[in-house]
Amino acid sequence: MNEDCLKVSAYFGERDMHGGRFLADHLLDEFERAALQTSILLRGTEGFGAKHRLQTQRFLSLSEDLPVLAIGVDARERVEPLVERLRGSLGDGLFTVERARMVTGRVGPVDLPDALGDATKLTVYCGRAERVLGQPALPAIVDLLQRHGVAGATVLVGVDGVVHGIRQRARFFSRNANVPAMVVAVGSSESIEQAIAKLGSVLDRPLLTLERVRVLKRDGEQLAPLDEHPDEDAQRARVWQKVMVYAGEQARLDGHPLYVELVRRLRRAHAAGATVLRGTWGYHGDHAPHGDRLLSLGRRVPVVTILVDRPSAVRALWPIVDEATSATGLVTSELVYERS
Amino acid sequence: MGVALWIGVAGLGGLGALLRFALDGAIGSRLGGEFPWGTLAVNLSGSFVLGLLAGAAVEGDALLLAGTATIGGYTTFSTWMLETHRLGEDGDRFVLAANVAGSLVAGLLAAFAGHEIGRLL
Repeated sequence: MNEDCLKVSAYFGERDMHGGRFLADHLLDEFERAALQTSILLRGTEGFGAKHRLQTQRFLSLSEDLPVLAIGVDARERVEPLVERLRGSLGDGLFTVERARMVTGRVGPVDLPDALGDATKLTVYCGRAERVLGQPALPAIVDLLQRHGVAGATVLVGVDGVVHGIRQRARFFSRNANVPAMVVAVGSSESIEQAIAKLGSVLDRPLLTLERVRVLKRDGEQLAPLDEHPDEDAQRARVWQKVMVYAGEQARLDGHPLYVELVRRLRRAHAAGATVLRGTWGYHGDHAPHGDRLLSLGRRVPVVTILVDRPSAVRALWPIVDEATSATGLVTSELVYERS
Repeated sequence: MGVALWIGVAGLGGLGALLRFALDGAIGSRLGGEFPWGTLAVNLSGSFVLGLLAGAAVEGDALLLAGTATIGGYTTFSTWMLETHRLGEDGDRFVLAANVAGSLVAGLLAAFAGHEIGRLL
Protein backbone atom coordinates (compact mmCIF):
# COMPACT_ATOMS: atom_id res chain seq x y z
CA MET A 1 0.00 0.00 0.00
CA ASN A 2 1.30 3.40 -0.95
CA GLU A 3 -1.23 6.13 -0.40
CA ASP A 4 -1.79 9.64 0.88
CA CYS A 5 -2.55 9.73 4.57
CA LEU A 6 -2.95 12.12 7.45
CA LYS A 7 -0.73 12.19 10.48
CA VAL A 8 -2.31 13.72 13.56
CA SER A 9 -0.12 15.06 16.37
CA ALA A 10 -1.51 16.08 19.75
CA TYR A 11 0.68 18.12 22.08
CA PHE A 12 -0.53 18.25 25.69
CA GLY A 13 0.40 17.56 29.32
CA GLU A 14 0.87 14.12 30.82
CA ARG A 15 -1.64 14.89 33.59
CA ASP A 16 -4.26 16.67 31.49
CA MET A 17 -7.63 15.12 32.22
CA HIS A 18 -10.68 14.42 30.11
CA GLY A 19 -13.93 13.05 31.56
CA GLY A 20 -12.26 11.89 34.78
CA ARG A 21 -9.43 10.04 32.97
CA PHE A 22 -6.02 10.94 31.70
CA LEU A 23 -6.32 12.60 28.31
CA ALA A 24 -3.39 10.49 27.06
CA ASP A 25 -5.29 7.27 27.82
CA HIS A 26 -8.45 8.70 26.25
CA LEU A 27 -6.71 9.71 23.01
CA LEU A 28 -4.82 6.44 22.61
CA ASP A 29 -8.05 4.48 23.31
CA GLU A 30 -9.80 6.52 20.61
CA PHE A 31 -6.92 5.93 18.18
CA GLU A 32 -7.16 2.20 18.90
CA ARG A 33 -10.97 2.13 18.55
CA ALA A 34 -10.69 3.92 15.20
CA ALA A 35 -8.23 1.16 14.21
CA LEU A 36 -5.60 3.62 13.02
CA GLN A 37 -2.69 1.97 11.18
CA THR A 38 -0.33 3.11 13.88
CA SER A 39 -0.25 5.30 16.98
CA ILE A 40 2.40 6.19 19.51
CA LEU A 41 2.56 8.22 22.71
CA LEU A 42 5.91 9.91 23.30
CA ARG A 43 6.82 11.32 26.70
CA GLY A 44 8.72 14.59 26.56
CA THR A 45 11.64 15.39 28.81
CA GLU A 46 11.07 19.13 28.97
CA GLY A 47 8.84 21.81 27.51
CA PHE A 48 5.99 24.25 27.92
CA GLY A 49 2.64 24.95 26.32
CA ALA A 50 -0.09 27.56 26.18
CA LYS A 51 0.17 28.39 29.91
CA HIS A 52 3.94 28.90 29.58
CA ARG A 53 4.58 26.74 32.63
CA LEU A 54 7.93 25.02 32.37
CA GLN A 55 7.91 21.27 32.96
CA THR A 56 11.22 19.46 33.08
CA GLN A 57 12.56 16.11 34.14
CA ARG A 58 15.60 17.93 35.51
CA PHE A 59 13.74 19.34 38.54
CA LEU A 60 11.71 16.96 40.68
CA SER A 61 8.85 19.35 41.47
CA LEU A 62 8.44 20.28 37.79
CA SER A 63 8.45 16.73 36.50
CA GLU A 64 4.98 15.49 37.45
CA ASP A 65 3.22 16.90 34.37
CA LEU A 66 5.69 16.52 31.51
CA PRO A 67 4.70 17.37 27.94
CA VAL A 68 3.57 14.43 25.83
CA LEU A 69 3.06 13.98 22.11
CA ALA A 70 0.48 11.53 20.73
CA ILE A 71 0.76 10.63 17.04
CA GLY A 72 -1.73 8.70 14.91
CA VAL A 73 -1.47 7.80 11.22
CA ASP A 74 -4.02 6.51 8.72
CA ALA A 75 -5.96 7.35 5.58
CA ARG A 76 -7.65 10.75 5.45
CA GLU A 77 -11.20 9.36 5.74
CA ARG A 78 -10.33 7.69 9.05
CA VAL A 79 -8.26 10.46 10.62
CA GLU A 80 -10.38 13.45 9.63
CA PRO A 81 -13.62 12.55 11.50
CA LEU A 82 -11.57 11.35 14.48
CA VAL A 83 -9.74 14.66 14.77
CA GLU A 84 -12.99 16.63 14.51
CA ARG A 85 -14.54 14.50 17.27
CA LEU A 86 -11.52 14.72 19.59
CA ARG A 87 -10.70 18.36 19.03
CA GLY A 88 -12.80 19.59 21.98
CA SER A 89 -11.18 17.19 24.47
CA LEU A 90 -7.70 18.67 24.16
CA GLY A 91 -8.14 21.72 26.40
CA ASP A 92 -4.96 23.80 26.33
CA GLY A 93 -3.27 21.28 24.09
CA LEU A 94 -2.76 21.51 20.35
CA PHE A 95 -3.89 19.25 17.53
CA THR A 96 -2.06 19.49 14.23
CA VAL A 97 -2.60 17.54 11.04
CA GLU A 98 0.09 16.82 8.47
CA ARG A 99 -0.28 15.39 5.02
CA ALA A 100 2.00 12.44 4.47
CA ARG A 101 2.49 9.43 2.26
CA MET A 102 2.06 6.09 3.98
CA VAL A 103 3.82 2.98 2.78
CA THR A 104 2.92 -0.45 4.18
CA GLY A 105 3.37 -4.05 3.11
CA ARG A 106 5.44 -4.51 -0.03
CA VAL A 107 7.52 -1.40 -0.53
CA GLY A 108 7.73 -0.52 -4.19
CA PRO A 109 9.67 2.36 -5.67
CA VAL A 110 8.49 5.68 -4.25
CA ASP A 111 8.75 8.73 -6.40
CA LEU A 112 9.33 11.95 -4.52
CA PRO A 113 9.36 15.22 -6.42
CA ASP A 114 12.53 17.04 -5.50
CA ALA A 115 12.19 20.81 -5.42
CA LEU A 116 15.07 23.13 -4.66
CA GLY A 117 16.15 22.99 -1.02
CA ASP A 118 13.51 20.41 -0.22
CA ALA A 119 14.10 17.22 1.67
CA THR A 120 12.07 14.29 2.93
CA LYS A 121 11.22 13.24 6.45
CA LEU A 122 10.92 9.48 6.80
CA THR A 123 9.34 7.89 9.86
CA VAL A 124 9.61 4.13 10.40
CA TYR A 125 7.20 2.67 12.99
CA CYS A 126 7.96 -0.63 14.74
CA GLY A 127 8.17 -2.36 18.12
CA ARG A 128 11.00 -1.42 20.48
CA ALA A 129 12.68 -4.83 20.53
CA GLU A 130 11.67 -5.99 17.05
CA ARG A 131 14.39 -7.85 15.17
CA VAL A 132 15.41 -7.98 11.54
CA LEU A 133 17.76 -10.62 10.15
CA GLY A 134 18.58 -11.70 13.71
CA GLN A 135 19.55 -8.18 14.81
CA PRO A 136 17.75 -5.52 16.83
CA ALA A 137 15.74 -3.59 14.24
CA LEU A 138 16.12 -0.03 15.54
CA PRO A 139 19.95 0.28 15.41
CA ALA A 140 19.93 -1.72 12.15
CA ILE A 141 17.53 0.81 10.57
CA VAL A 142 19.70 3.71 11.81
CA ASP A 143 22.83 2.10 10.33
CA LEU A 144 21.08 1.49 7.03
CA LEU A 145 19.92 5.12 6.84
CA GLN A 146 23.39 6.46 7.54
CA ARG A 147 24.94 4.14 4.93
CA HIS A 148 22.56 5.60 2.34
CA GLY A 149 23.60 9.15 3.16
CA VAL A 150 20.44 10.20 5.03
CA ALA A 151 21.31 13.41 6.91
CA GLY A 152 20.10 12.34 10.35
CA ALA A 153 18.03 9.74 12.21
CA THR A 154 16.71 9.52 15.77
CA VAL A 155 15.11 6.58 17.59
CA LEU A 156 12.20 7.59 19.83
CA VAL A 157 10.61 5.03 22.15
CA GLY A 158 6.96 5.43 23.07
CA VAL A 159 5.05 4.43 26.21
CA ASP A 160 1.75 3.50 24.56
CA GLY A 161 0.34 2.94 21.10
CA VAL A 162 -0.49 0.40 18.43
CA VAL A 163 2.21 -1.74 16.81
CA HIS A 164 1.22 -3.99 13.88
CA GLY A 165 -2.44 -3.70 14.88
CA ILE A 166 -1.96 -4.57 18.58
CA ARG A 167 -2.23 -2.09 21.44
CA GLN A 168 0.98 -2.08 23.47
CA ARG A 169 1.34 -0.13 26.70
CA ALA A 170 4.52 0.23 28.71
CA ARG A 171 4.25 -1.22 32.23
CA PHE A 172 6.43 -0.78 35.26
CA PHE A 173 7.18 -4.48 35.82
CA SER A 174 7.78 -5.53 32.26
CA ARG A 175 10.51 -5.84 29.68
CA ASN A 176 8.32 -3.66 27.47
CA ALA A 177 9.77 -5.33 24.39
CA ASN A 178 6.75 -4.60 22.23
CA VAL A 179 6.08 -0.96 23.09
CA PRO A 180 5.92 1.25 20.02
CA ALA A 181 9.03 3.01 18.77
CA MET A 182 9.82 5.07 15.73
CA VAL A 183 12.82 6.22 13.77
CA VAL A 184 12.58 9.79 12.48
CA ALA A 185 15.00 10.49 9.64
CA VAL A 186 15.61 13.53 7.46
CA GLY A 187 17.55 13.56 4.24
CA SER A 188 17.60 14.44 0.58
CA SER A 189 14.71 12.83 -1.27
CA GLU A 190 17.23 10.83 -3.29
CA SER A 191 18.94 9.29 -0.26
CA ILE A 192 15.57 8.51 1.35
CA GLU A 193 14.33 6.83 -1.85
CA GLN A 194 17.36 4.55 -1.92
CA ALA A 195 17.15 3.83 1.80
CA ILE A 196 13.49 2.82 1.75
CA ALA A 197 13.99 0.51 -1.22
CA LYS A 198 16.48 -1.35 0.96
CA LEU A 199 14.33 -1.02 4.12
CA GLY A 200 11.42 -2.64 2.28
CA SER A 201 13.47 -5.74 1.56
CA VAL A 202 14.81 -5.97 5.15
CA LEU A 203 11.76 -5.22 7.33
CA ASP A 204 9.11 -7.89 7.91
CA ARG A 205 6.04 -5.68 8.01
CA PRO A 206 7.20 -2.18 7.19
CA LEU A 207 5.08 0.84 8.06
CA LEU A 208 6.58 4.11 6.90
CA THR A 209 5.44 7.66 6.38
CA LEU A 210 7.06 10.23 4.14
CA GLU A 211 6.62 13.98 4.43
CA ARG A 212 8.17 17.00 2.76
CA VAL A 213 10.36 19.15 4.98
CA ARG A 214 12.83 21.91 4.46
CA VAL A 215 16.30 21.45 5.94
CA LEU A 216 17.32 24.89 7.15
CA LYS A 217 20.66 24.23 8.81
CA ARG A 218 23.17 21.50 9.43
CA ASP A 219 26.04 21.85 11.90
CA GLY A 220 25.85 25.64 11.74
CA GLU A 221 25.72 25.88 7.97
CA GLN A 222 22.60 27.52 6.55
CA LEU A 223 21.22 25.34 3.74
CA ALA A 224 17.97 27.24 3.08
CA PRO A 225 16.33 30.39 4.39
CA LEU A 226 13.41 30.05 6.81
CA ASP A 227 10.28 29.57 4.70
CA GLU A 228 7.68 32.28 5.27
CA HIS A 229 3.95 31.57 5.23
CA PRO A 230 0.68 33.35 6.04
CA ASP A 231 -0.99 32.46 9.37
CA GLU A 232 -4.15 31.18 7.64
CA ASP A 233 -4.68 28.98 4.63
CA ALA A 234 -7.10 29.62 1.74
CA GLN A 235 -10.00 28.25 3.83
CA ARG A 236 -9.09 30.64 6.65
CA ALA A 237 -8.05 27.72 8.88
CA ARG A 238 -5.06 28.26 11.13
CA VAL A 239 -1.65 27.21 9.90
CA TRP A 240 1.19 26.24 12.23
CA GLN A 241 4.86 26.02 11.49
CA LYS A 242 6.92 23.29 13.10
CA VAL A 243 10.64 23.79 13.54
CA MET A 244 12.63 20.80 14.76
CA VAL A 245 16.17 20.90 16.11
CA TYR A 246 18.02 17.57 16.19
CA ALA A 247 21.18 17.65 18.31
CA GLY A 248 23.10 15.48 20.74
CA GLU A 249 22.66 15.64 24.51
CA GLN A 250 26.25 16.88 24.63
CA ALA A 251 25.56 19.91 22.40
CA ARG A 252 26.25 23.16 24.23
CA LEU A 253 24.99 26.72 24.14
CA ASP A 254 26.69 29.24 26.45
CA GLY A 255 28.21 26.29 28.32
CA HIS A 256 24.80 24.74 29.08
CA PRO A 257 22.89 21.93 27.37
CA LEU A 258 21.59 23.29 24.07
CA TYR A 259 18.02 22.10 24.55
CA VAL A 260 17.78 23.65 28.03
CA GLU A 261 18.95 27.07 26.81
CA LEU A 262 16.81 26.89 23.67
CA VAL A 263 13.64 26.10 25.64
CA ARG A 264 14.44 28.81 28.18
CA ARG A 265 14.91 31.45 25.49
CA LEU A 266 11.82 30.38 23.55
CA ARG A 267 9.72 30.50 26.71
CA ARG A 268 11.06 33.93 27.61
CA ALA A 269 10.11 35.10 24.08
CA HIS A 270 6.54 33.79 24.64
CA ALA A 271 6.61 31.06 22.00
CA ALA A 272 3.33 29.12 21.82
CA GLY A 273 4.96 25.90 22.89
CA ALA A 274 8.05 23.71 22.79
CA THR A 275 8.53 20.00 23.47
CA VAL A 276 11.83 18.20 23.94
CA LEU A 277 12.04 14.49 23.16
CA ARG A 278 15.04 12.37 24.14
CA GLY A 279 15.90 9.66 21.68
CA THR A 280 17.67 6.44 22.63
CA TRP A 281 19.97 6.16 19.61
CA GLY A 282 20.74 8.18 16.51
CA TYR A 283 23.07 10.43 14.56
CA HIS A 284 23.16 13.48 12.37
CA GLY A 285 25.66 14.30 9.67
CA ASP A 286 28.92 12.33 9.65
CA HIS A 287 28.88 11.74 13.41
CA ALA A 288 28.80 8.08 14.42
CA PRO A 289 25.48 6.87 15.88
CA HIS A 290 25.39 7.52 19.60
CA GLY A 291 23.37 6.67 22.71
CA ASP A 292 23.86 6.08 26.42
CA ARG A 293 26.55 3.75 27.72
CA LEU A 294 26.43 1.66 30.87
CA LEU A 295 28.16 3.14 33.94
CA SER A 296 28.68 6.50 32.31
CA LEU A 297 27.17 9.51 34.09
CA GLY A 298 27.07 11.82 31.07
CA ARG A 299 24.33 11.01 28.56
CA ARG A 300 25.01 10.77 24.84
CA VAL A 301 21.51 10.32 23.45
CA PRO A 302 20.11 12.40 20.59
CA VAL A 303 17.66 15.13 21.61
CA VAL A 304 14.90 16.63 19.46
CA THR A 305 13.46 20.04 20.32
CA ILE A 306 10.14 20.81 18.64
CA LEU A 307 8.83 24.35 18.35
CA VAL A 308 5.28 24.81 17.07
CA ASP A 309 3.91 28.31 16.56
CA ARG A 310 2.11 30.47 14.01
CA PRO A 311 4.28 31.26 10.97
CA SER A 312 4.44 34.97 11.88
CA ALA A 313 5.65 34.08 15.38
CA VAL A 314 8.21 31.60 14.03
CA ARG A 315 9.65 34.41 11.89
CA ALA A 316 10.06 36.50 15.04
CA LEU A 317 11.54 33.57 17.01
CA TRP A 318 13.91 32.46 14.26
CA PRO A 319 16.92 34.50 15.49
CA ILE A 320 16.78 32.54 18.78
CA VAL A 321 16.85 29.18 16.97
CA ASP A 322 19.44 30.44 14.50
CA GLU A 323 21.79 31.57 17.27
CA ALA A 324 21.29 28.37 19.27
CA THR A 325 22.28 26.25 16.27
CA SER A 326 25.20 28.38 15.11
CA ALA A 327 27.65 25.47 15.56
CA THR A 328 25.70 22.24 15.69
CA GLY A 329 22.37 20.53 15.04
CA LEU A 330 20.08 19.72 12.16
CA VAL A 331 17.20 22.21 11.79
CA THR A 332 14.08 21.49 9.75
CA SER A 333 10.87 23.38 9.07
CA GLU A 334 7.47 22.16 7.90
CA LEU A 335 3.91 23.41 7.80
CA VAL A 336 1.23 21.70 9.84
CA TYR A 337 -2.44 22.49 9.82
CA GLU A 338 -5.29 22.92 12.23
CA ARG A 339 -7.64 21.32 9.72
CA SER A 340 -6.78 18.95 6.91
CA MET B 1 4.50 9.41 73.04
CA GLY B 2 0.76 9.87 72.62
CA VAL B 3 -1.35 9.17 69.59
CA ALA B 4 -2.05 12.89 69.19
CA LEU B 5 1.67 13.55 68.84
CA TRP B 6 2.06 10.84 66.21
CA ILE B 7 -0.80 12.35 64.24
CA GLY B 8 0.78 15.77 64.66
CA VAL B 9 4.13 14.51 63.28
CA ALA B 10 2.42 12.88 60.31
CA GLY B 11 0.26 15.93 59.55
CA LEU B 12 3.02 18.51 59.91
CA GLY B 13 5.46 16.35 57.94
CA GLY B 14 2.91 16.27 55.15
CA LEU B 15 2.39 20.03 55.44
CA GLY B 16 6.15 20.53 55.09
CA ALA B 17 6.17 18.41 51.94
CA LEU B 18 3.28 20.41 50.50
CA LEU B 19 5.05 23.70 51.25
CA ARG B 20 8.17 22.42 49.53
CA PHE B 21 6.26 21.26 46.45
CA ALA B 22 4.54 24.67 46.14
CA LEU B 23 7.67 26.79 46.67
CA ASP B 24 10.04 24.57 44.67
CA GLY B 25 7.59 24.40 41.75
CA ALA B 26 6.89 28.16 41.77
CA ILE B 27 10.58 29.11 41.82
CA GLY B 28 11.63 26.46 39.32
CA SER B 29 8.98 27.34 36.76
CA ARG B 30 9.61 31.10 37.17
CA LEU B 31 13.37 30.94 36.79
CA GLY B 32 13.68 27.90 34.53
CA GLY B 33 17.24 27.63 33.30
CA GLU B 34 19.78 25.05 34.33
CA PHE B 35 20.21 25.61 38.07
CA PRO B 36 17.78 23.97 40.54
CA TRP B 37 17.04 27.20 42.42
CA GLY B 38 13.79 25.82 43.87
CA THR B 39 15.49 23.04 45.81
CA LEU B 40 18.24 25.39 46.97
CA ALA B 41 15.67 27.90 48.28
CA VAL B 42 13.81 25.12 50.11
CA ASN B 43 16.93 23.71 51.74
CA LEU B 44 18.34 27.10 52.70
CA SER B 45 15.10 28.37 54.23
CA GLY B 46 14.67 25.04 56.04
CA SER B 47 18.22 25.17 57.40
CA PHE B 48 17.63 28.71 58.59
CA VAL B 49 14.41 27.82 60.43
CA LEU B 50 15.93 24.70 61.99
CA GLY B 51 18.90 26.82 63.14
CA LEU B 52 16.43 29.34 64.54
CA LEU B 53 14.58 26.63 66.51
CA ALA B 54 17.84 25.29 67.91
CA GLY B 55 19.13 28.77 68.76
CA ALA B 56 15.89 29.66 70.54
CA ALA B 57 16.33 26.42 72.52
CA VAL B 58 13.00 25.00 71.43
CA GLU B 59 12.87 21.45 72.77
CA GLY B 60 10.74 18.44 73.50
CA ASP B 61 7.47 17.94 71.66
CA ALA B 62 7.65 21.42 70.11
CA LEU B 63 11.02 20.64 68.51
CA LEU B 64 9.71 17.28 67.32
CA LEU B 65 6.69 18.89 65.67
CA ALA B 66 8.32 22.02 64.25
CA GLY B 67 11.76 20.61 63.51
CA THR B 68 11.74 16.88 62.85
CA ALA B 69 8.23 16.80 61.36
CA THR B 70 7.67 20.12 59.56
CA ILE B 71 11.21 21.03 58.49
CA GLY B 72 12.05 17.35 57.99
CA GLY B 73 9.21 17.03 55.51
CA TYR B 74 10.04 20.40 53.96
CA THR B 75 13.77 20.12 53.23
CA THR B 76 15.07 17.44 50.93
CA PHE B 77 18.48 15.85 50.64
CA SER B 78 17.34 13.27 48.11
CA THR B 79 16.02 15.86 45.63
CA TRP B 80 19.28 17.79 45.93
CA MET B 81 21.22 14.63 45.08
CA LEU B 82 18.87 13.54 42.26
CA GLU B 83 19.00 16.94 40.59
CA THR B 84 22.78 16.99 40.95
CA HIS B 85 22.88 13.61 39.22
CA ARG B 86 20.70 15.00 36.39
CA LEU B 87 23.16 17.88 35.97
CA GLY B 88 25.89 15.28 35.60
CA GLU B 89 23.84 13.46 32.95
CA ASP B 90 23.54 16.73 31.05
CA GLY B 91 27.31 17.16 31.31
CA ASP B 92 26.91 20.45 33.17
CA ARG B 93 30.03 19.96 35.35
CA PHE B 94 30.35 23.58 36.49
CA VAL B 95 26.71 23.87 37.53
CA LEU B 96 27.00 20.44 39.20
CA ALA B 97 29.94 21.62 41.32
CA ALA B 98 28.17 24.91 42.11
CA ASN B 99 25.06 23.02 43.20
CA VAL B 100 27.02 20.80 45.60
CA ALA B 101 29.42 23.40 47.02
CA GLY B 102 26.91 26.27 46.99
CA SER B 103 24.25 24.29 48.84
CA LEU B 104 26.73 23.13 51.47
CA VAL B 105 28.31 26.51 52.14
CA ALA B 106 25.12 28.55 51.94
CA GLY B 107 23.22 25.92 53.96
CA LEU B 108 25.78 26.05 56.75
CA LEU B 109 25.61 29.86 56.74
CA ALA B 110 21.79 29.76 56.83
CA ALA B 111 21.78 27.40 59.82
CA PHE B 112 24.40 29.54 61.56
CA ALA B 113 22.47 32.78 60.93
CA GLY B 114 19.24 31.15 62.14
CA HIS B 115 20.99 29.93 65.26
CA GLU B 116 22.46 33.36 66.09
CA ILE B 117 19.12 35.11 65.58
CA GLY B 118 17.36 32.39 67.59
CA ARG B 119 19.68 33.02 70.53
CA LEU B 120 18.59 36.66 70.62
CA LEU B 121 14.90 35.70 70.90
